[in-house]
Amino acid sequence: MTTTDLAAGQGVAPRTLPKAGAALDRWRVPLTIAVLAVLPFVLPSQALAVNVLIYGLFTVGFNLLFGYTGLLSFGHAAFFGTGAYLTGMAIALLGFGWFPAMLTGIVGASLLSVVIGALSIRTRGIYFCMVTLALAQLVYYVALQASGWTGGENGLRGFTVVKADLIGGFSVNLLNPLAKYYFIMFFAALALWFVSRVLNSPFGAAIEAVRENETRARACGFDVERTKLLSFVLSGALCGLAGTLSALHLSIVPLDALGVHTSSIVVMMTMLGGAGSFFGPFVGALVFLLIEDVASLWTTHWQLIVGIVFILFVLFLPKGIWGSLIQIVRRRRAS
Amino acid sequence: MTKRTDHPLSSVSRRTVLAGLGAAGVGLIASPALVRAQAETIRIGFPTPLTGPFGAEAKDQVKSAELAVKLVNDKGGIAGRKVELLVRDDKLNAGEAATRTLELIEKDKVHAVVGALSSAVQLAVNEVTRARGVIYVSISQSDTINEVKDFSKYTFHEALNPRMTTAAVARATFKKGSKVALLGADYAYGHEMIRGFKRAAGELGAEIVGEILHPFGAADYSTLMPRIRALKPDILAICNFGRDQANSIKQANDFGMKKQMQIVVPVLLHNQRIAVAPDVFEGIIGGANYYWALESTIPSAKTFNDAYKAAYGSLPTDYGAYGFTGVSALLLAMAKAGGTDTDKVVEALQDLKYDVAKGPQYFRKCDHQSVQSVLVLKSKAKADMKSEQDLFDIVENVPGSEQMLRSCGELGFPT
Repeated sequence: MTTTDLAAGQGVAPRTLPKAGAALDRWRVPLTIAVLAVLPFVLPSQALAVNVLIYGLFTVGFNLLFGYTGLLSFGHAAFFGTGAYLTGMAIALLGFGWFPAMLTGIVGASLLSVVIGALSIRTRGIYFCMVTLALAQLVYYVALQASGWTGGENGLRGFTVVKADLIGGFSVNLLNPLAKYYFIMFFAALALWFVSRVLNSPFGAAIEAVRENETRARACGFDVERTKLLSFVLSGALCGLAGTLSALHLSIVPLDALGVHTSSIVVMMTMLGGAGSFFGPFVGALVFLLIEDVASLWTTHWQLIVGIVFILFVLFLPKGIWGSLIQIVRRRRAS
Repeated sequence: MTKRTDHPLSSVSRRTVLAGLGAAGVGLIASPALVRAQAETIRIGFPTPLTGPFGAEAKDQVKSAELAVKLVNDKGGIAGRKVELLVRDDKLNAGEAATRTLELIEKDKVHAVVGALSSAVQLAVNEVTRARGVIYVSISQSDTINEVKDFSKYTFHEALNPRMTTAAVARATFKKGSKVALLGADYAYGHEMIRGFKRAAGELGAEIVGEILHPFGAADYSTLMPRIRALKPDILAICNFGRDQANSIKQANDFGMKKQMQIVVPVLLHNQRIAVAPDVFEGIIGGANYYWALESTIPSAKTFNDAYKAAYGSLPTDYGAYGFTGVSALLLAMAKAGGTDTDKVVEALQDLKYDVAKGPQYFRKCDHQSVQSVLVLKSKAKADMKSEQDLFDIVENVPGSEQMLRSCGELGFPT
């Protein structure tokens, strides 16, 4: 219990932003939800808006581990993909309803993150990246080989949820793009509220203490290993949730969901938006997907455009879009 | 007084103006909608991997598909409606393809989808279209899409499938008692082709002496060649696609394998042959859906080649031709159905007999697989090439028949 007392006493106060920043911070969940609610009307297509939700949530989960705990994982596709596959398999093979199937996906991804987390948090730095990457590749090959269950190379199909029944006889028509968007946004909003609570809790202070100075955190009496593992599992569960939502959205699970590419784009989105900030992940996912979507409509050389934009961001906004914005506001206030 | 006259006048005029404006507004909004409903453009979605390892094939597909659309538009469109092709880059990624297809259906309100160039991607597109009752004509090889699990009444498969190509190639090269070694890429494409060759070998009485898998995208085959040679086969069937095909054949050539055995491939790719020297591919036998030299025997091929040459100044390729035949079949059915009513177009496609580039074709009733001829080609030696484009000899043009396909019962359909 000393750990939580210490965290409550020391960690929380300096983390809050001054004045106007504090209001932004206090209302961060409703603000994010308000912005998300208008996305389908602003973006070029609703399918893209749903992808922003899903990848935003995926990035939020990843950011908890990378931005707040300071552990750079290169294997988070394993949790995203496992969430997606288990949801699809629960519906296609076991005949589950959408909600039990989602729970299966989230629980499965969490259990996997306990295993991968327990094995990988013993290492740090580049070794941590490599161990998570290697373990995620194991999951990828399991999915590739177990083609009787997962569809292998062809991906998982045959679990389209047309209508999601809710309590009290209501149901959502998931073929209607707008209804699907708000259906998925409901879960994203729940997850955001949860993450916000976690970050404001003593545990939130503890993971940041581990990020800032592991030795000192240990000297202060924190159980560093357990803190890291818990953060890893929470992160895995959130990414699993993003995966289950992606399965419901696309009605397929491509093998790529478990691939290295998926692991790497979540890192890029986090960097682009701003690691260690609450709004950053969604900003990163939005900008990343929007550039890709719009540029690839214009030209087959869209990768060139995306590449140049990245270089510009790395050169001029090294803290990411949101991170740099906060920095500029602070600097202006200080002067 | 002035006020009194002013007031009613202005009030009346305001009402009249408002009413007039309202009527005009309704008219303005309604009339173009009526006009639009009559001459609404027919939109066809076309997801294809413009970027990635199959980019060259994908670009050929787009060119051919656009040609098919242009030819119809030049003749006044379908029932007075223009046709538009909406090309989208699916990046050879099933998730991206599913998203793009959702966009095409939800935002662009396409009337049908044609396209894709990988087994996984076409199955993803199919999953999205069939749930929403949108017609999809797949133009990429796959055995899976024929099976009852992935079938729907909206699903049509224009491309050949591995079963057809391997059967045709095996029939042209395997003999009773020949020893066949198989080298395949370790993923869906390789597995399906190997399965096809094994079945054909069983039917023809050939013996499979060994089966070796290599990872997808492998660059080095040097360790596999001595193993293959030790099997002492008469025929080596190399079952891989794209770059892998060129790399493995090049190395088999370096090891002098061609002196001891005949190398066959399920699909002999036009673009891969051009990418390497003629002597590397010399003597290799493989299947194809289209080769431009068909024009000497098939009039529709001549028409297609000429139109293609007039539009782009070059000759169409094998995978490119799928874009033409796939879109043409759909447009023919739409013309027959007199519009875009999905059920009517599906019925028209089912009854369609078409010959647009390679001889007669039709969609089989149970699985909507296009029954069509399979070409068996042999790569020419440099000395025999009359021009840069003169790449292959046509060994055989196996006419289309349902005998080549797995039976409807085998695919899981009620018989």
